[in-house]
Amino acid sequence: MVSSMVRRVRGAMGVLVAAVLAFGMLVAPAPASAEPAAAPRIKVALTSDIDTFNPFLAILASSTDILRFQYEPLVVWGPDNEVAPGLAESWESSEDARTWTFTIPEGRLWSDGQPLTSDDVAWTFQQVIDDDALQQANGGLVENVESVTAPDPQTVQIQLTAPQASNPGAELPIVPRHVWEGVDAATYANDTDTVGSGPFVIESATTGQSVEMAANPHFWRGAPKVSGLTWVVYRNSDAAVQGLRAGEIDILNGLTPAQFQSLEGQPGITTNSGAGRRYQSIAINPGAIDAEGNPMGDGNPALRDPVLREAIFTAIDRQALLDTVRQGLGVPGQTEVPSVYADYFGFAPGYQAWPFDPAAANQMLDEAGYERGPDGIRLDQDGEPLRLRLMGRNTDASHQQMADFVGPWLADIGIATDVMMVQPNQVNDDSTLGNYDLYFTGWGIGPDPDFQLSINTCASRPNADGSGATSENNWCSPEFDELYAAQHAELDPGRRAELVKEAFSVLYEAAVNMPIYYADTLEAYRSDRFTGFVTQPTEGGVILSQNAYWGLYGAEPVVAEQAGGEGDGGLPAAAWVAIVVAVVAGAVGVLIAIRRRGGADDRE
Amino acid sequence: MTLAESTPALEEEQPRGSTLGRYLAWKGGGAAISLVMVVVLGFFAFRVLPGDPAINLTRGRRVSAAEVERLREELGLNDPLPLQFVSYLGDLLRGDLGVSYVYNRSVGALILEGLGPTVLLTGSAALISIVLGLWLGQKAGWARGSVFDKSQTGLALVFWSVPTFWLGLILLLVFSGGFGWFPSGGMVTAGTDLRGLALVLDVAHHLVLPVLTMVAVVYAQYLMVMRASVLEEMTSDYLTTARAKGLREDLVRTRHAVPNALLPTVTLIFLTIGGLVGGAVTVETVFSWPGLGYLTFQGLSAPDLPLLQGTFVVFSSIVIVMNFVAELVYRVLDPRLRSS
Repeated sequence: MVSSMVRRVRGAMGVLVAAVLAFGMLVAPAPASAEPAAAPRIKVALTSDIDTFNPFLAILASSTDILRFQYEPLVVWGPDNEVAPGLAESWESSEDARTWTFTIPEGRLWSDGQPLTSDDVAWTFQQVIDDDALQQANGGLVENVESVTAPDPQTVQIQLTAPQASNPGAELPIVPRHVWEGVDAATYANDTDTVGSGPFVIESATTGQSVEMAANPHFWRGAPKVSGLTWVVYRNSDAAVQGLRAGEIDILNGLTPAQFQSLEGQPGITTNSGAGRRYQSIAINPGAIDAEGNPMGDGNPALRDPVLREAIFTAIDRQALLDTVRQGLGVPGQTEVPSVYADYFGFAPGYQAWPFDPAAANQMLDEAGYERGPDGIRLDQDGEPLRLRLMGRNTDASHQQMADFVGPWLADIGIATDVMMVQPNQVNDDSTLGNYDLYFTGWGIGPDPDFQLSINTCASRPNADGSGATSENNWCSPEFDELYAAQHAELDPGRRAELVKEAFSVLYEAAVNMPIYYADTLEAYRSDRFTGFVTQPTEGGVILSQNAYWGLYGAEPVVAEQAGGEGDGGLPAAAWVAIVVAVVAGAVGVLIAIRRRGGADDRE
Repeated sequence: MTLAESTPALEEEQPRGSTLGRYLAWKGGGAAISLVMVVVLGFFAFRVLPGDPAINLTRGRRVSAAEVERLREELGLNDPLPLQFVSYLGDLLRGDLGVSYVYNRSVGALILEGLGPTVLLTGSAALISIVLGLWLGQKAGWARGSVFDKSQTGLALVFWSVPTFWLGLILLLVFSGGFGWFPSGGMVTAGTDLRGLALVLDVAHHLVLPVLTMVAVVYAQYLMVMRASVLEEMTSDYLTTARAKGLREDLVRTRHAVPNALLPTVTLIFLTIGGLVGGAVTVETVFSWPGLGYLTFQGLSAPDLPLLQGTFVVFSSIVIVMNFVAELVYRVLDPRLRSS
């Protein structure tokens, strides 16, 4: 019996030793390959999905973010979101805002050293104009373009169908003709040894794992101070935060306030709360109308009364929602233009935000004749209790958080709410068709406000089945349409900004959509490894997901990478030998233990 | 001689083969019916999802109504549903799973790309949890009521009850962000160009935490089934015979009780194998593993109908085929099924 016990213990020990050795082997830092001898690459967490690197097809934000480093348009969005030189160093518009002439300096080169001329620009535009299959990503950018010509290698002329104040050379990525002419542009993956004009070009990509970008030595503003970018795929941001703490990545964005605060003050890490480009709002269905002028959807008819809508907005405390949902990291909402775009942010003279004032809201409703029923709920014109649906996305925790506050606030002014959190696609369908009373929404806004205004014109109303155009707020007015048209063709930037503010103020006053806040974009980076990140805008802006390439282009290594540093250069040969010996010893131990347990006398 | 005349003669010559044939036909027929239903369901189920792919793909960008309409035409969304179904069936029969709306690539290629990493992860986890679960299960069952039994069963059930993503995140927090022993995600270290043994070690290093998470959460089911199965064999006469032959208790267990007790676990194991391909969405998300789980999840957002259909049909078919194989293996392993 005792010998059996001993055998068991020995056997168990053998297994244990083998397991510990195996574990130890895996725990040992993985042998990292030698870093490139020159400057290091910045490792950037990539937390959302990539669809394709083909600039004619790429739609998802991560893909277009990456492509902004690779292809310059004719003009780029400068460090303060102003129009700045890109491929073109100068440009001018004709008096009627229909002919735009761009000048490309001599000596510009693609990353492979080939000359970059107006021919590449004209060719790219023409491809998008001519080929339906290449319009997936940027078809809208050429809609108003009649023709693009290259009278000489340094000049591009864009002829527009209708006058346009926003620069037609912004946004469209220009590709090298000598590369794309020889491939099927509609299916080309564009993910290996690519050629571009921006600071970094894609070297290789492994789906779901990483994207390697190399510095472009021919970039006209000067080669980057790092040797490239490595985008590392993370499928949840908690893991990416751990990756930053462990030094596996150098920078990440899209942090939640909780994650952001957990990284504040950590050694070697710097956090950045940059002004966001997105407004978060609550919208009210004012009675959706389709393109034919017929009512559509099932919105509560009582909401057609602007007084009721104003009262609802007056009962909502934007600052409290910002403080609760985003820990105060952001700016309370005004018009749909976030504070990050200083030229267009804020109200036109004579307009202001709805104050948070439940007493005033109650008074407005009392005066408008909405009497309270026996249960305290007000009655509409038909004597029905005011009961409104409040819709939000079930994938966004902040919607439920906000609903928890908005419900009681509305109850305070005698309005009952039914909160329903549904799939994002359900929200899209219902909001397009006008099947809602109140819902949480939000849009990311580009530096030029034209598009956001355009989706509030009467021309943007959808067909009865939801097809056709999309209206942002299921609202429109002739006054707004006039302002839209006026700013669309106004070449004087100051005057245009006034018109834009006026238009957004008119939209705000209609009480169909109240921006609650512009949340900051929360970022963190290894300041012990890299410095010199340029935010956009330069004051209080973001580093990643900019409208251009400034953030990472400006970065430089903190110190020259030391050879043979931590985790570098692989395991020494002795360690390999030790590992092999340990594994063999462990295996032999197990075998002996097993052998001992069965003896000759055990044969049947 | 006609075929009809020859058939009975053959049957008489090989009576057992014929029974097997009938068994095969019966089980195979069942599997085939399931497959057909999967194919039909794969098409219609996702058509119920809210969201117009053409609108969602163009949302937030400047597009004209005409452009959206052209996209809808291009994706075939304007065709009547029966016509769409027929073209889907035709493509499927040719082995073509269609082209993803979002990725602009063939669904077959997308699935193949994620298949390797997923099978590596789920396969390693399954292998370890099966071996560990069965081994602990037979030990626990043999010594029912002992400290070993109670502690092992209790521990396994605790892990079984833990939410996968929670356990994964805790492991990540402690062993990756905290101690820095393991990478925080992915399958290979990004930005390196490893080859040979170094690559194998790197992948193994990345595998530890996700596999540990999966094993912890699932090994209890093997343990419990094996334990119950051993308990059933405990009182069998053949064990008394074995003891009477003078065998040590260990050998009675390993040579006699365990082989018989293993039988019910076969079905479980094959079910596991069937589910290996599609079954790791949570772990793959927590550990950023480049597998198939994320693909299915991503397909829902557009909704990317070809991607959803493709993954659904492929994953379901593998489960059905594995169940069918389990039926066959069971029959081979258990003589009682052959005679009945």
